[in-house]
Amino acid sequence: MALAIAAAAVPMLAGVMALPRPGDPAAPVHARVAAHVVAHGAEETGAENLVTAVLLAYRGYDTFGEVTVMFAALAAVMTVLAPRPRERSPEPADGVAISPVVVFVIRLLAPFIAAFAVLVVLRGNVSPGGGFQGGVMLGALLVLLSVVTGRGNERPLLEPRLASWLQAAGPLTFTLVALLGFATAGAVLALPADPAWARGAMLLALELGIGVGTAAIILGLFLQMRGW
Amino acid sequence: MSEFFDLVMLALLIGMALAVARTRDLLAAVILFSGYSLVMCLLWQHRGAPDVAMTEAAVGAGVTTILFLLAIGRTGRRER
Repeated sequence: MALAIAAAAVPMLAGVMALPRPGDPAAPVHARVAAHVVAHGAEETGAENLVTAVLLAYRGYDTFGEVTVMFAALAAVMTVLAPRPRERSPEPADGVAISPVVVFVIRLLAPFIAAFAVLVVLRGNVSPGGGFQGGVMLGALLVLLSVVTGRGNERPLLEPRLASWLQAAGPLTFTLVALLGFATAGAVLALPADPAWARGAMLLALELGIGVGTAAIILGLFLQMRGW
Repeated sequence: MSEFFDLVMLALLIGMALAVARTRDLLAAVILFSGYSLVMCLLWQHRGAPDVAMTEAAVGAGVTTILFLLAIGRTGRRER
């Protein structure tokens, strides 16, 4: 056993030793990959924000995986923490009433938070942000509203059937765009080169799918873990 | 000045990480961890990664804190 570990460790350590020094500007990842993205990213993907270009175009598969992992996490929480029937009262058991100041401030700020979240999702291709960030903001807002209004699984904000479709929005959109890329550009998750508006539309669809999916998943996680 | 800011933030990060690991009160650990995320968010922004800073603020300081608090509410506050 020890011999096998040693035999596996030697080539691994040799490989680690041969890696370029961290932050070395001459390393291939900086000299070739990053340089290519910085030089051609905006024209190849149509996204001025290069982080978005990498997330949704160059490394689309990784983002597809991340979106699927988030969905799987919600599915796991729903399986493990299935709500026990009528064990808890629908109101908070602790009996600590929410301060009216908190309620007022959340109700006052909610439209501004929502507008900012939508802006972050929609402008992800030109400015910092995107589907994940905007989606989390929207999800956090939904959590706050759910706390303030006292609405949960008993009186859901959304139809349960609609909610489950929204929670799957990320993987579903990615699958759709992947197939569209296959049909129009000949490769899964590829962006068509020809009409520029089609690339923009596909990136926007991905951002919207990720945003809506993330928000729904966060609200779902919160409601499931709160248990009422 | 810029490097001084980084050093202060890094010192705060290390201090908070040690405090999270040492405390036996899970509620205190969650609140410290939320502060850790906030400092990390400032550091990301200062190092020129606004996308990551946004994610850190929203996910690290916001949503995971809520989920941790819910988990404490369903289990217990003291580490055994």
